[in-house]
Amino acid sequence: MNTGLKILLFVLAVLAFYSYVGNTVPQKITYPPETAELSGDMTTDELVEAGAQIVAGKGTCLGCHTVGSTVEASSLRFPDLGNIGGIAGTRIEGKSALEYLAESLYDPAKYIVEGFLPGMPVVSRPPIGLTDNEILAVMAYLQSLGGTATITLATTHSFTGQGASESSAAAPAVALGAGLDGQGVFDTYMCATCHNIDLPDRLVGPSLFDVGSRLTRGEIYEAVMDPDATIAEGYPGVVMATTLGASGFYQKVSPEEIRSLVNFLVEHTGN
Amino acid sequence: MKACPQTMYSGARLSKDRLGSPCLVPDTSTGGNFFNSLSRLLPVAIALMVTAVALAFVVLPAGASIQDAAIANPEYRAFPVIGSRVAIWVVAQLHLMFAAFVLAVPMFAVIIEIIGMVTKDKRYDALAHEFTKLLSVSFSLTATLGALMVVMLVVLYPRLTEYMVSIFSWTFFPYILLFFLEAVFLYSYYYGWGKFSPKVHLTLGICLNIVGTAIMFIADAWLTFMNTPNGISETGALVSMADAVNNFIWMPINIHRMIANVAFGGSIAAAYGAYKYLGARTPEEKAHYDWMGYVGNFISISALLPLPFAGYWLGKEIYAYSQSLGITLMGGTFSWLFIIQAILIGNLFLAANYYLWLSMERIEGAERFRKFIKYLLASIAVTFLVWATPHSLVASIEEARQMGGSNHPMLGVLGVMSAKNTAVNILILTTYISFLLYRRGNKEPTVSWAKAGQNAQLAIFVGAISLVIFLGIYGYFVEARVRIALSVPQVLAVLFTMISVTIIDIYLFKGAKSRGEIKWGKMPDRAQYALFFITITFAWTMGLMGYVRAGMRQHWHVFGVMRDTSPDAFTPTLGFASNVISVTVLIFFLFIAVVFWLTGLPSKKDWEPKDARQSTSDEEVSA
Repeated sequence: MNTGLKILLFVLAVLAFYSYVGNTVPQKITYPPETAELSGDMTTDELVEAGAQIVAGKGTCLGCHTVGSTVEASSLRFPDLGNIGGIAGTRIEGKSALEYLAESLYDPAKYIVEGFLPGMPVVSRPPIGLTDNEILAVMAYLQSLGGTATITLATTHSFTGQGASESSAAAPAVALGAGLDGQGVFDTYMCATCHNIDLPDRLVGPSLFDVGSRLTRGEIYEAVMDPDATIAEGYPGVVMATTLGASGFYQKVSPEEIRSLVNFLVEHTGN
Repeated sequence: MKACPQTMYSGARLSKDRLGSPCLVPDTSTGGNFFNSLSRLLPVAIALMVTAVALAFVVLPAGASIQDAAIANPEYRAFPVIGSRVAIWVVAQLHLMFAAFVLAVPMFAVIIEIIGMVTKDKRYDALAHEFTKLLSVSFSLTATLGALMVVMLVVLYPRLTEYMVSIFSWTFFPYILLFFLEAVFLYSYYYGWGKFSPKVHLTLGICLNIVGTAIMFIADAWLTFMNTPNGISETGALVSMADAVNNFIWMPINIHRMIANVAFGGSIAAAYGAYKYLGARTPEEKAHYDWMGYVGNFISISALLPLPFAGYWLGKEIYAYSQSLGITLMGGTFSWLFIIQAILIGNLFLAANYYLWLSMERIEGAERFRKFIKYLLASIAVTFLVWATPHSLVASIEEARQMGGSNHPMLGVLGVMSAKNTAVNILILTTYISFLLYRRGNKEPTVSWAKAGQNAQLAIFVGAISLVIFLGIYGYFVEARVRIALSVPQVLAVLFTMISVTIIDIYLFKGAKSRGEIKWGKMPDRAQYALFFITITFAWTMGLMGYVRAGMRQHWHVFGVMRDTSPDAFTPTLGFASNVISVTVLIFFLFIAVVFWLTGLPSKKDWEPKDARQSTSDEEVSA
């Protein structure tokens, strides 16, 4: 037989063998997680059930944690959740079970269970990106593990409001905006409601009439992206960050649009 | 004023410390034929095309009219029949395979050239030149596939491409510049063989390697950013390009790829030797290509041995970035992928050892080591089986009940990292022992301290193997965080053994007595098929690892930053991925066959009209 043909047949045989191996192992398609449908009238039991689904699905909690594992705790890489509902109130002195569970989900690096290393992601941020309601459902489920669930969607705690927004949970973290120019961004997000751009007169926020001569490009960028980093004298903090956050600005605006907005503001030197 | 808005995962960022052999002189004629002209022009043309595309990316988004037009543009476009994901998957993988080869060959060509200069042995120079011959056509194919990939990204994934360009826009210019420089250095290195002084020629080779490595480092920044994005705000806006480039897995991937490229490139060169060996007609040709295949395989396996250690580092950095990303990679969805990987790597080691054992057949005096082969084979078989043992078995509900869970009561013990790490380290040491036996096949030490030296080597082996096994068993009795750390002393023990034993061996066999000669060209054909097998397995492993590197992001284009909202956002089955990889590797080998054919073309006789051939034949008969 021709040498080239022999080599070709050999290549085909080896490739077929490896394909066979790949098709022999367990086959599973993994779909993107879906946002849970939660309504305000859900009972605690329904919330527990929804929480169990989130824990196994979108929350990806079971990738690391076990529930009711019989393996010794020292052999586990992350704490078992089998009795978390029963011990949550005793983990940190003076902290209720509700607050402890909330903290462990929103700010998991703050308290690390003895014998384990930090490594849990903040579940309210990407890539997991659970909403406040989804986190409440998870907390209800965790309460039910070794304890009694009491949480409803009306329950509030110290971290309420810090979950992923409903729109961003379903949408890409980066939606490249609508390709707006600087003026377009300024108008779309109604910056003029609080900032005067044409006159030096102050409104709720400082005038941007001469912002290009007062601040550097980097400072303007920071003022947009992290408004509370530096507060102009005589103005309240938090307002701008809260307003922009509520409008979905940080989820919707693209890097190009931010650059355009900054360029637009830099040009306003008061002349 | 404090710094710009915090980067994503700043917490994780803080957790990092580092912000007598026969020689057939090959045909060295480079020819001025059509193929050579084409191979010179094609990369430049492609580079111009890529430059144009990159410039379009950088310049065009500034225009408002283009932005308006972008509003109407879809986020994705569908590729007919096979879909966009499979289309870009195949093209990207083919590009990576050729790029790996093109980057690797200059590395070992320069090293072989240096060996030739130091030893003043002309056959090394000729071998380096013959390896380099494969580059010319391969470089063109790499560039063509790269350009195709860019075009496909622009057309099929405009939103992702636009975002990536917004982050890395200024890296495209040095990339293109380096690409031009690589073309200049590559062709001057190849066509300048024998035309410059050895030092100048060697400098060209070193420059070629530096430029090639820099190109890879830039491209690695783009792809690693997609897995462990860094230097961006919470909205995904660029804050620091330096941090975006130097993301968590950038340097581990750079190092891993450099080593893996050499392993892969060496195997392709060995396959070329095997291909030529099978078609050789004279004993001289057979001897030469047998030697070429051996050298290629030696390079390949030498690079394979430290590769798992680079892999550990890569894995560690993935975990450092995000535990959930690391667990997605090593557990859950992809845990079975690593069983397939174990089968592939086990096969690589098995085939490499088999080739070495067959190679010992052509060494006079090596028959005294034949009795050890069965023990080496047993060691490979046992370690291979342990490595490929899954943690949880594919079992029916009834079978699972009988076992008391998805873990087999006995085999389940072997499916954990303690056992697997131990198996891999013993497998590496076994292969190293095979190489040592091959190396000393026809040698008899003459130094006065020969016995003491061999005893020291034996003691090092026994000590290292004992330590590796002890730590493997100890891992079952300690906490998980201690167990994970035990892989480090295991790896260090193996590295120490390989380095120290090699150093002793070099001095031990200095001025050694020869027990016979190496009969190059006296190799069975099945040894050449072992080389093909190694090459195919390397290519398939590359395909599998490429799949998991992208797959671990699951439904994210850029992990945690840009979601994949296309119809292909799901992670396909391992079976489907295996089929795509097999088809891709087959296409790669068809391309490689073309490369081999074109490379051998200049050494063929010039074409003559039929009448001229007939008259020449008649003249020969009458003479």
